[in-house]
Amino acid sequence: MKLHLSALFCLLVVMSLAAGCMAPAPAAAPSKPCTITFGAAVSLTGATAKEGEYVKNGYNMFIEDTNKQGGFKVGKQQCTISVKIYDDESNADTSAKLIEKLVTEDKVNLLLGPYGTGPVFSASAIAEKYDVPMVEPGGAGIKIFTRGFKNVWGTLPAAGTYLKSAVDMILAKDPSAKNVALFIENDSFSQEVADGITPYLKEKGLNLVYSEQYPKGTKDVSSLVTAAKAKNPDFVLGASHLADAELVVKQAKDIGLNAKAWAFSVGPSTPEFGTALGKDSTYILGVTPWTPAMKFQGQDIYGTPLKFSEAFKAKYGYEPSYHSASAVATFIAFQKAIEAAGSVEPKAVREQLGKLDVPTFYGQLKFAPEGIIVKPMGVVQWDTDGKMVSVWPKDIAEKDPLYPAPPWDKR
Amino acid sequence: MGILIGQSLVNAVLLSGMLALVALGFSIVWGVLKIINLAHGSFIMLGAYVTFTLFSLYHVDPFLTIPVSMLALFLLGYLIQTYIVNWVIRAPLLVTFLLTFGLDIILINLALFVWQGDVRSVSPAYAGTGLTLFRDPVTSQGVQVPYVRLAAFAISLVLAGLLYLFMSYTKLGRAIQATGQDKDAAQLTGVRVAPTYALTFAIGAALAGAAGSLISVMQPFDPNMGGGYRLRAFIIVVLGGLGSIPGVILGSVLFALVDVLVGISPLAPLKDGVAFAMLVLVLIFRPTGIAGKAFY
Repeated sequence: MKLHLSALFCLLVVMSLAAGCMAPAPAAAPSKPCTITFGAAVSLTGATAKEGEYVKNGYNMFIEDTNKQGGFKVGKQQCTISVKIYDDESNADTSAKLIEKLVTEDKVNLLLGPYGTGPVFSASAIAEKYDVPMVEPGGAGIKIFTRGFKNVWGTLPAAGTYLKSAVDMILAKDPSAKNVALFIENDSFSQEVADGITPYLKEKGLNLVYSEQYPKGTKDVSSLVTAAKAKNPDFVLGASHLADAELVVKQAKDIGLNAKAWAFSVGPSTPEFGTALGKDSTYILGVTPWTPAMKFQGQDIYGTPLKFSEAFKAKYGYEPSYHSASAVATFIAFQKAIEAAGSVEPKAVREQLGKLDVPTFYGQLKFAPEGIIVKPMGVVQWDTDGKMVSVWPKDIAEKDPLYPAPPWDKR
Repeated sequence: MGILIGQSLVNAVLLSGMLALVALGFSIVWGVLKIINLAHGSFIMLGAYVTFTLFSLYHVDPFLTIPVSMLALFLLGYLIQTYIVNWVIRAPLLVTFLLTFGLDIILINLALFVWQGDVRSVSPAYAGTGLTLFRDPVTSQGVQVPYVRLAAFAISLVLAGLLYLFMSYTKLGRAIQATGQDKDAAQLTGVRVAPTYALTFAIGAALAGAAGSLISVMQPFDPNMGGGYRLRAFIIVVLGGLGSIPGVILGSVLFALVDVLVGISPLAPLKDGVAFAMLVLVLIFRPTGIAGKAFY
């Protein structure tokens, strides 16, 4: 046994010496082609396969368009970029395993994120473990950013800010609006939305006359709608997802709960909302970090949302959602940070990501100290022609919002 | 306050009609075949998609699609029972459990493949219109009775009534009841058990199809919608007592009352929990269900 151990020790010494000899020279010759490799685990199958595909398409499109223009500028060199994408099956544990593989086996330089708060939460822990910066496009849960990690940045605004823009818009239109009803889905994301908006309503001097939770996956909210109706709210807010937002609207119409404005955190900003509810979707407000119609001016390869949208449509045949735009924004954050740092060393890139403050087609890219983007949500509304238009903030909006919403029986 | 209570009671009554239809098919299959059909939720889901397809492609009024979805599910149910479930009908409960669970997964994934996972909704022009009762002249508010829910309630009652008449007064219905009570004795008196089972299963599926068609008009749905209804059907059947139509209706009314009244109380987020607590209490104190008879 003793012999064994010493033999092993000798072997280790020899190996480490050999490794030392084989290590590359620190400064690469300028003529040598260089490539920056990014790694990502994205949900290409499973519950969020659709959103995962949007993210993946964003990543691939940016790579292609950037390499056409010569890639990233690193110091004096132009480097092409590439991305290695694995399928995390919408599973948080798988996502973490794949990130570990990307870092240890594939030796990627930097990390992009998965889709969904769950996978981002576990994947970013691995990024932190190996000290590799990750900018992620698909996790808005604040719990990702409250662990004191220094390697995770996110390009989706925090869930707690989702409904604030809608409230600002309503108050700008109608300062006399006072009474608010709030429906809350019993789910971690929706709870964060509600926890963010409740103190904000108080701050704005509004009365929360009705606030109630319903179970996730509920089939009937008629009792909540009935109770809210008895309180005569001026406007109704929903901390919700798509199916329950539709359910609230349907049953509000059934029971005759009327309000001057309606806004939901998730639901109205997806095209399905309009097709499913038809005319009943008119006047309803949704929030989204990005739409092709917003009027941002950026210093990046796309410049404006419209140009990005046209290029995306030409390549994939459908209009991009905010998922794809957010995915591209993560790359732009890396591009700007790498160019400012003149290096792809994690430490230098990390420092520059923290300092970032650039206009892009996605809006201003600037992160709060904990890593989440500082960006107001835009407000969209379904108009009378059955189209979703952006109505807020004013400077980037297409149209003035329709207000107030008429009662259901007068439409 | 009066309007709040009135509206809640109306909500409960209308909800109970729909729930009764959801649970009826589940109840007769359980009562007669002694199978807990875990694919019942998927049958409901398929009914909803039949309506959705006819409504969105051919603009057929959703209420007119009910016979189509009932017929489609009747055939599907008949085939599934004859060619799949019948093989294990005498096997232990766990086997049929596994089999129908597998069927459920297959049907959900087929639906995901055919109709995609998007949340769908059927909204005819008259959706959301309704009667206003007890209108207060000052606030002009009153108790709303939405036409769609009222119609769904009426259809549920008619179907429950027809099922009751069929089971009690026709030869086939009595054969089904006899098979449910004792399949060997029924066989001795000349009832052919396999076709009777297939017919029962098909009727259960057809009722689920009708329920799905009605639900599609009232609520948004996706291929995974069935699980919640299967659970509700289970609770209702246990509450009311296995194997009786009045029991199912009693169970539905109770469930709807609890759902709605808890919904306007501060316990609203716990309304599913309260329903389960009720289930547990019934199982402890009255295991045969509140109506209490063991079969049809």
